[in-house]
Amino acid sequence: METTLDSLLLGFSVAFRPDVLWYAFLGCLVGTLVGMLPGIGPLAGISILLPITFGLDATKAIVMLAGIYYGSQYGGSTTSILLRIPGEAASVMTCIDGNAMARKGRAGPALCIAAVGSFIAGTFGVIMLTVIAPPLAVVALRFGPPEYTALLVLGLIFLAYMSTGSLVRTLLMAALGLLFGTVGIDVMTGHFRYSFDIPELGDGLGIVPVAVGLFGLGEILATPSRQVAGPVHRPRLRELWPSRQEWRQARMPIARGSLLGFLIGIIPGSAHIISSFLSYAVERRVSAHPEEFGKGAVAGVAGPESANNAASTGAFVPMLALGIPTGPVTAVLIAALLIHGIPPGPTLVADHPNVFWGFVASMYVGNLMLLALNLPLVGLFVNLLRIPYAYLYPLIIMFCVIGVYEVNHSIVDVWIMLIMGVVGYALKKFKFDPAPLVLGLVIAPIFEMSLRQSLIMSDGGWLIFVQRPIALALLVVSAALLALSALSFLSARRDWRARLAEEAADS
Amino acid sequence: MDRRCFVVGSAASAAALSLSPSWAQEAYPSRPVTFVNPFPPGGAVDVVARPLAAVLEPIVKQPVVIETKAGAAGQVGAQYAANARPDGYTLLMHITSISGFAEVDKLFGRAPKFTRADFIPVARFIADPMLIVVNDQQPYKTLKEFVDDAKKRPNGIVMSSSGLYGALHLPMALFNKAAGIELRHLPTAGGGPALTALLGNNSQVLCSSIAAASGQLKAGKLRALASFGGRRAPALPDVPTLKELGYDVEFYLWVGLFAPKGTPDAMIAAWREFSRKAAAAEAFKKAMGNVGQDVAYLDQPEFKAFWDADAQRVEAAVQAIGRVQG
Repeated sequence: METTLDSLLLGFSVAFRPDVLWYAFLGCLVGTLVGMLPGIGPLAGISILLPITFGLDATKAIVMLAGIYYGSQYGGSTTSILLRIPGEAASVMTCIDGNAMARKGRAGPALCIAAVGSFIAGTFGVIMLTVIAPPLAVVALRFGPPEYTALLVLGLIFLAYMSTGSLVRTLLMAALGLLFGTVGIDVMTGHFRYSFDIPELGDGLGIVPVAVGLFGLGEILATPSRQVAGPVHRPRLRELWPSRQEWRQARMPIARGSLLGFLIGIIPGSAHIISSFLSYAVERRVSAHPEEFGKGAVAGVAGPESANNAASTGAFVPMLALGIPTGPVTAVLIAALLIHGIPPGPTLVADHPNVFWGFVASMYVGNLMLLALNLPLVGLFVNLLRIPYAYLYPLIIMFCVIGVYEVNHSIVDVWIMLIMGVVGYALKKFKFDPAPLVLGLVIAPIFEMSLRQSLIMSDGGWLIFVQRPIALALLVVSAALLALSALSFLSARRDWRARLAEEAADS
Repeated sequence: MDRRCFVVGSAASAAALSLSPSWAQEAYPSRPVTFVNPFPPGGAVDVVARPLAAVLEPIVKQPVVIETKAGAAGQVGAQYAANARPDGYTLLMHITSISGFAEVDKLFGRAPKFTRADFIPVARFIADPMLIVVNDQQPYKTLKEFVDDAKKRPNGIVMSSSGLYGALHLPMALFNKAAGIELRHLPTAGGGPALTALLGNNSQVLCSSIAAASGQLKAGKLRALASFGGRRAPALPDVPTLKELGYDVEFYLWVGLFAPKGTPDAMIAAWREFSRKAAAAEAFKKAMGNVGQDVAYLDQPEFKAFWDADAQRVEAAVQAIGRVQG
């Protein structure tokens, strides 16, 4: 412990050097911006700035690039809340309740809660990273394909908690999402599926174009067909800050989101995307008022926003402690280290304590910076809503197109987004909720791959899922959840969902 | 490619439209040149192309723009370059796997989207021999122990790879064929996940580049049993080559520069000269050293001969894997 403290002091001595501090700030600023711009996610932001870091030393480079990554998780909430446009995949869930809060005139509090939740989760993640990174990383390695499969089974069960509407509609959307998720090259056999001879479709439908299209464009397309010339809500300063009751409602979701997000974040692979989805479902499951979700529940913003920030920090655990990438973003960061002549690996901490501890310390500072950066901006951002739609929305469409194109330089992605925009419009008209569709799209490729990988590992034996303790535990939780639902069904007690569906049918 | 480059690039293509009749009279190149990178940022091509572009710019006296066109394991970018105007302003950097796509398409009865004939090789910059590595939970200390055990239980040992017919799959398939062993193949979504699977003992063996494995080798988490090089790698003098061990298998993860078919000879000659100077630059050697690579520059004639031989290896590997029933 004492050595950790010493090392951390060394780290802060690096992190507080004015030049390092400057690059941390730059990273956080760019991260906030790329998180905000629809379509441009952290990966695009880091890729854009990677060449600039070649002239820097390794510490500054990694501090800045990492700042972009966790900074973007802060920024992602802004457009989700104000405009219902997910800045990147992890903010999809924030669109639902965050935007509902904004419509109730609580945009300021929603942004504040997102920023504070992100700060708490980010700092919690860094503390965990400081204290228990190496042993945790070894556990993360045991998370192989069977464990992934079990986790995603749990995710599929949580799907039922995703949406406000009836279960049938939710499952219909989820099934559509799962179907979309099968587009692309079958990694096991090399066949192209539903690709229509378009090579870009070989990688499947991207989550960002689909999410931006369904939520953002769909929303914008639906705007002209309803009364929009309502009174402009001019927020007063007092209304920017959450009320005491809202803080109380946010407290536990932030705590749960931080823990859940961090745990999911350390798993190597692309599990971090589902952290915000899972957090939303968990909050709804444990909430005393599940019917409020979708109509502006504070927990529906606080939980997922904390979870995605903690997950982005958690992703650094296997990267720094073991030198393995947990996803595309950490893969670029590892390449950045490599380019500076620092081979990431289990010996990174011992060989380059300056880089490692400087980096960790800079994340403490970076999270503070982000809070300082984001809270004062809340007032400014809320004013965005005062811009008349006629000017704001064309601008947003432009940003969406540029952002989505920028990720892969693929015009196919832009078409996917535009088509999904039309689909999103239709779904809105027929009152289908797109969130389960996005989750289905996220889960399908990972689920399919990990299931088939597991069966390759076991040579076709399904017992592999119960022989491995982590997988077994996750499956037991899934079974218990199903049993609980069945029980309430048997006892003929109608739950909130049935009531909601009935209300909807009546109205 | 960054936004700035995007703007430059668009401006350049706009300029191309207006200027194209007159380029022949001007010194080449008279405007920025685009290198297509068919892999994600930070990937195998990016780490070579970025430092290369930096040393090329003062030589070429024009900006060299890296344009990322990632997708379908390098296929999207290669196809994009194959269909680009052969005006000497769009070039492609690609790796070993460029030779395999047409062969895979043939295997599936698909019309190939491009073949090797669509590209003119210009220069090769690096060639990293692959390694056979096992994780520290395996008992094998030598390749012989591994092969003996694999023979005892065919299809019992799991090998991970970056994906079916991918750069980490092909060499292992060649080795399996040469050694007469059968391993169970666990495809993953890339080099990183393949390494993660090995470290977590979800697979037991992997064919990896030296650069990707070096950190883990140093920490003792992985052991290298053999290399696919023609001679021992300077960084790993204790690791025998497969040739030494009696297997006639060679495989490199190389990165080369290509021009689309139809690019005028004078421009190819210009790029051969630029490449030769850039490969000799100290800054480039240092940058390659940082990512664990030695500059292994080949000029066009040698590169072409090397590529022809290499393509035969790749095609043989694709055929050895065959069509996977799933």
